[in-house]
Amino acid sequence: MRRRSPAQVTVVMFVLLIALIFFLFPVVWMLLTSFKSQSEYFSYPPVFWPKDFSLRNYFNAMALPPDGRGGLQGLRDSMVIAACTTLVSVLVGSLAAYSLSRFKTGGENFSFWILSTRMFPPVAAALPLFLIFKQFKLLDTHLSLIIANTIFNLPFVIWLLKGFFDELPVEMEEAAMIEGCTRLQAFRLISLPLVAPGLVATSLFSFIFSWNEFMFALLMTRRNVRTLTIIVPSLVGGHEILWGEIAAIGTVAIIPGIFLSLLLQRYLVRGLSMGAVKG
Amino acid sequence: MTNSPFLDRLRKRRTAIFFALPAVIILLAITVFPLIYELRLAFMSWELTTNAPARFVAFQNFGKILFHDARFWSSLRVTMVLIVFGVGIQLTVGTGLALLLNRLRRPRTLLVSLFLIPVMIAPVVAGFQFRMIYHDQFGPLNYLIELATGGRWRGFAWIANPKIALIAIMFTDIWQWTPFLMLIVLAGLQSVSLELYEAADVDGATPWQTFWRITLPLLLPVIIIGILIRAMDSFKLFDIIYLVTGGGPGNVTETISFYTYLQGFKFFSLGYTAAMAFVQLIVITVIAKVFINFQKRQQEGV
Repeated sequence: MRRRSPAQVTVVMFVLLIALIFFLFPVVWMLLTSFKSQSEYFSYPPVFWPKDFSLRNYFNAMALPPDGRGGLQGLRDSMVIAACTTLVSVLVGSLAAYSLSRFKTGGENFSFWILSTRMFPPVAAALPLFLIFKQFKLLDTHLSLIIANTIFNLPFVIWLLKGFFDELPVEMEEAAMIEGCTRLQAFRLISLPLVAPGLVATSLFSFIFSWNEFMFALLMTRRNVRTLTIIVPSLVGGHEILWGEIAAIGTVAIIPGIFLSLLLQRYLVRGLSMGAVKG
Repeated sequence: MTNSPFLDRLRKRRTAIFFALPAVIILLAITVFPLIYELRLAFMSWELTTNAPARFVAFQNFGKILFHDARFWSSLRVTMVLIVFGVGIQLTVGTGLALLLNRLRRPRTLLVSLFLIPVMIAPVVAGFQFRMIYHDQFGPLNYLIELATGGRWRGFAWIANPKIALIAIMFTDIWQWTPFLMLIVLAGLQSVSLELYEAADVDGATPWQTFWRITLPLLLPVIIIGILIRAMDSFKLFDIIYLVTGGGPGNVTETISFYTYLQGFKFFSLGYTAAMAFVQLIVITVIAKVFINFQKRQQEGV
């Protein structure tokens, strides 16, 4: 790096700090709102710092409408759906990614097809899925959302993992196969452990995409299944504006995202650019 | 086992297919099958609001979309505005931040992760945050503006005023996605060789010249990838609209995704929705094709 004077560094830091405040403000504002009383968030000028950090909103939110299960149910449903989607996508996706990477299966058109599924506007897939689920009486079940989310997660997982497999030297697998391993054994015993970090990163991304998903959840669920992302707007649209409670649910809903942003530092570039930019 | 090259190839093929098969079956079942179903629907008129049965209407739906549906074109215009101005601002600010971050030495990774928080949280939650921030009576934004202008400007109805509602949406999108562009531009910057800069320094180039003549051309591939990804995302923009404005006031903030949703799940024009979905699929496929070709060219180092 070219040399920088301390003054320059200070200016850079200052500008970055202002920018950071801008990008974190809405999140912090929601976090603070989740601790405020109603008279605090409905006041002008706005109260920035809640007087006492009360957890009342959290307790209320966890047991809120429609039927007294509220946030807890949302937490459970979001968790089940995101975990199952990730499990299916990574299990099936890692095999396919390996095949694409090692054998160039199906050539370019096949990989293009896989990637283009990922790029569909979800709304384009929503209508036929809705009608099909309706036919099979799958609406308002976890399975319907697991299937819908898999449409977008599986191609993502395949594409990202293909990049990780591409980077592995093939010599080790070849050596193992000369020693008598089958291809499947070589895959399981050699390649898979070597891409373990990539596998973990991919799984976490897949989890968070499914966790944050909203449109399918909105269209495919009614009462039995309610993800956290469904509960937030359903409360915003209600008669009372329950900002404190919504903020509490919102805060719970973004914890995995914040956590992963810190955890996935090394893989953020890759995961978010679909492997197009190597970080 | 023989060692004939043919059998060997066949065996290899078989393993390749065996590995890819589960994914192919799943993708066929959950994407191709619904799409064929939808394609059939696109040529039918099926209004759930009337009791009329579905009937075949050939290209009527497509004709209506392209020539008689002002609302479709308006939603396309909103989407384009968000791409041109919204993504444009995200790119400019994101590049600026990346250049600044690139000047720091160590404490960068934590800083980058903090910047990335907006990208990682659910858009619905981001929408709710801005719903509070934009609130005309209790929102902190109006309070800040009132403070900054000494009370002259106050009480903006950010999401109810048709003149500024789209700006409010765009601003939310900018807030959420600028860090993403910052991230990939930063990744691009890190792969730029320092020798080029040293050479430019020796030749007495000003920082301004260095930026336009060296940095930007080298960043171009990453920037194009960023623009393509964000363009495709913009066609999907739904969550924030649903939460912040609901497409209103009127339909000034209705994106193409949101309008499709309304046609399908509020007006129940199933055939028409399917046709509209296909129009979008065609556009997205074109962008995706460009994206992939471009990426391939990069990887081949052309």
